[in-house]
Amino acid sequence: MTRLLSILGRAYVIAIFGFIFLPMLIILVISFSADSYLSFPPSGWSLKWYSTVLGNATFMAGLKNSAIIALIVAVLSLLLGLPAAYALVRMEFPGRTLIRNLILAPLVLPAMMLGLGLLMVFTPAGLVATYPGLVLAHLVMTLPFSVRILQTTLSNLGTDLEEAAMTLGARPLQTFMQITLPRLMPGVIASSAIAAILSFDEIVLSLFIVGPRLQTLPVAIYRYVDERTDPMVAVLAVLLIAISLAIVLVVERSVGFAKAFGR
Amino acid sequence: MSTLATDGRTRLTPWLLLAPVLLVLLVSFIAPILWLFRMSLNESDFGAIIPAVSLGTYIKILNDTYYLDLLGRTLRLAVTCSLVALAMAYPMALFLSRMTSRWRTPLTVLAASPLLISAVVRSFGWMITLGDDGLLNNLLLGAGLIAAPLRIINNYFGVVIGLSESIMPYMFLTIMAGLGKLDRRLDDAAMSLGAPPHIVFLRIILPLSLPAIVAGLTIGFVLSVSSFITPTLLGGGRVFLLATEVYDLALMSLDWPTAAALSFLMLGLFLVAMLVTALLVRLMTRTR
Amino acid sequence: MNLRPSPLADTAPPHIRIDRLTFDYGGARPAVDALSFDIAKGEFIGLLGPSGCGKSTTLRMFAGLLTPTSGQIMIGGQNIVSRPPWERNLGLVFQSYALFPHMTVEQNVAFGLRLRKVSKEDQRARVAEALRAVRLESYGSRWPSELSGGQQQRVAIARAIVIEPEILLLDEPLSNLDARLRDEMRFEIRDIQTRTGITTLFVTHDQQEALTMCDRIAVMNAGRLEQIGTPTDVYDRAATPFVANFIGRANNLSSRLSLVGGQPVLVCDGQTLPQPLLVDVPANSAAGGTVAAMVRPHAIRLMPPAPDQISGTVIRRVFVGSMIETEIRLDGGQTLIAELRPNSPDAALANLGARVTLDWLASDMRLFAS
Repeated sequence: MTRLLSILGRAYVIAIFGFIFLPMLIILVISFSADSYLSFPPSGWSLKWYSTVLGNATFMAGLKNSAIIALIVAVLSLLLGLPAAYALVRMEFPGRTLIRNLILAPLVLPAMMLGLGLLMVFTPAGLVATYPGLVLAHLVMTLPFSVRILQTTLSNLGTDLEEAAMTLGARPLQTFMQITLPRLMPGVIASSAIAAILSFDEIVLSLFIVGPRLQTLPVAIYRYVDERTDPMVAVLAVLLIAISLAIVLVVERSVGFAKAFGR
Repeated sequence: MSTLATDGRTRLTPWLLLAPVLLVLLVSFIAPILWLFRMSLNESDFGAIIPAVSLGTYIKILNDTYYLDLLGRTLRLAVTCSLVALAMAYPMALFLSRMTSRWRTPLTVLAASPLLISAVVRSFGWMITLGDDGLLNNLLLGAGLIAAPLRIINNYFGVVIGLSESIMPYMFLTIMAGLGKLDRRLDDAAMSLGAPPHIVFLRIILPLSLPAIVAGLTIGFVLSVSSFITPTLLGGGRVFLLATEVYDLALMSLDWPTAAALSFLMLGLFLVAMLVTALLVRLMTRTR
Repeated sequence: MNLRPSPLADTAPPHIRIDRLTFDYGGARPAVDALSFDIAKGEFIGLLGPSGCGKSTTLRMFAGLLTPTSGQIMIGGQNIVSRPPWERNLGLVFQSYALFPHMTVEQNVAFGLRLRKVSKEDQRARVAEALRAVRLESYGSRWPSELSGGQQQRVAIARAIVIEPEILLLDEPLSNLDARLRDEMRFEIRDIQTRTGITTLFVTHDQQEALTMCDRIAVMNAGRLEQIGTPTDVYDRAATPFVANFIGRANNLSSRLSLVGGQPVLVCDGQTLPQPLLVDVPANSAAGGTVAAMVRPHAIRLMPPAPDQISGTVIRRVFVGSMIETEIRLDGGQTLIAELRPNSPDAALANLGARVTLDWLASDMRLFAS
């Protein structure tokens, strides 16, 4: 009886995995379809949709914008988040808990709400459909993650090493650069990667503040899918997944490197 | 102890380090919310904004059966999807948290990986899988099991499927975290006292994992209520929910006061959900 | 603000003077309460006490990782309390060793020298010398993760001494080692210290360690200094009941003190104890008042039953290899433990249920006012 339950249980879990990943597989397959409409299985195979996408100005512009913004957001998320995480973990001051919660607060809000609010604030400020505007909007979603990851990493590191360095004569900044930062590397890389992926995939906020001058790839895809569905969307989807996957792999390789270095 | 308590440093330093982040939050978070609240106090007349400071818009919404219908449908959807997602997330979390082989971490990462995939892509995947000319229908048609394609997208049903799947990874992670705190030795103790596996599950594992389940359900609920992309794409424009309404009001009819007020009502729903959760958890842990 | 006069005001300035050092974090009592004592150059001082007594807090104040609420730490006549840790020129060895995992052994040891802008050749020479002092000469290019616990600790010590600090601070360095390694390292550390002559402050909760390693021991309890003295001082001439009970084993007998014809007489539940020396009578105990008589288990002698002198019945007898441990219930109800040599006449008397009379030397007994 137990054996049967265990087998059923395992089968159920496998089924769930299948449920999750089946659509992705189908997308991959469809991207190579020769048909002009969505049909599974495709009647033939071709790369024509890939070349169509690469030749489509809107999508390529969207891709370029999303990539640039994701890069800037990843860097800024780190540059802003690291000092904040350091202050929140290594220092004691009144209001510390409040600030910690404040930084997490954007995640509690429905993204739509924030999107609308951003539109209302950015319009008079002239930030709609601009790089700075989109970066600021994405930052508010990535900062909670970045700060949190860095906070956890820093807190797990413990203060012994930093204290040892200080008693050996290292001033606070030297201690940070020579002792804390190298050991923080896995957290730094993870938080940058997450920020990049979140920014690249970000759609709800972007929907509100993009414009004809500047559009991101997820928004372009959404607009397209809303009107019609054909295998071109599959290609775009594969593109999005591939880029996210690439970032994850980069992290894997470099964190592996850092681990060999540190411990 | 995580703090480095070396004095001789100014009280200013933490604030200097926090200033950039706080500035971004001010501009991109606090200002928009305040502005939004101010806007919700205006009134509107068919797309024209009438400056005011009143609760008129809120009252208008709460008295309108259209919006109440919307609220009801949104709640129904959120509860349904949360439960469906729970039926998937809990067994998976249970299974993986008890796994001891080296496959455990890779599989956990795999189970959470859909988080890296944009909602647009996931919804699109379901459109191809469940569409009239998609995988499922072609399979069933080809096998002769049905005569005409099943209409399972561009309607409420499709939204349930797509939304449940999209909130599942979040629930999974939340429940995993909660299950991690369970002591495996309690199972052993129960079994040594003569309890068969299904009793161990019903009497030991399930009750102790209730806080994690409640936390997971809350996350699922909140995500479902705020979800917009999946219902729009999989609902075919025929499923009307709070989130879709806010979008339409904001960008189509440009009725910002109503959109703003509706948003705050959505937020109110969230806060109620979280309060209920907190109470439930406190109740559950007190009877221990 | 502590206005009591310093107990050290009249002595000549020593290498290190701790003067009414206090750390109060707002709890029920200060973690460290007006701690005062001197340390001579080259001395190996132990800070001994149970957990929570304030010894680690004191060490951290020394290192500059905590700021005292009041009081001074004078090194060479200068108060260093307001100096940040990186300006204090001390060496701190952590319980967890705290070696930098992303640097080799050599880079770890050279860290302090690099910060002091010592030239590359000098660095290399001094690092090699320090590694030689801890007997790890050929380990320079290894990584900390490749070393055993004892080796890591020796590297930590090398890193601390290579900068030629004014004072070496050791925070329970042996706690993480297994028993055999601990014994080895005790002698190693003391050896290194004797050769380098660096003044050392050694924090521990293990009285064995303190007794075997230190020139002097400062016994702390609940933030206060109970006694500071040589190992013999604190063992044979414990100043307070706490010290007597914390270091070595002790029996405490509640008794009444009276002076009969100018001689002190101790009576415990109607039976007399060996007569103490007049000089041992606590200053503030009134004749007829209660005192606690402390005698160590190994100082007790057994005799056949005699009237009036302290006697009792053997209620437990355990053979522990190097000695026989007996528990004796006195006629008055109090119990004490006696350690007897196997095959001695005392041991022969101490059968289970037997009645015996106890005796010990006056110099083996300490009296404390109750």
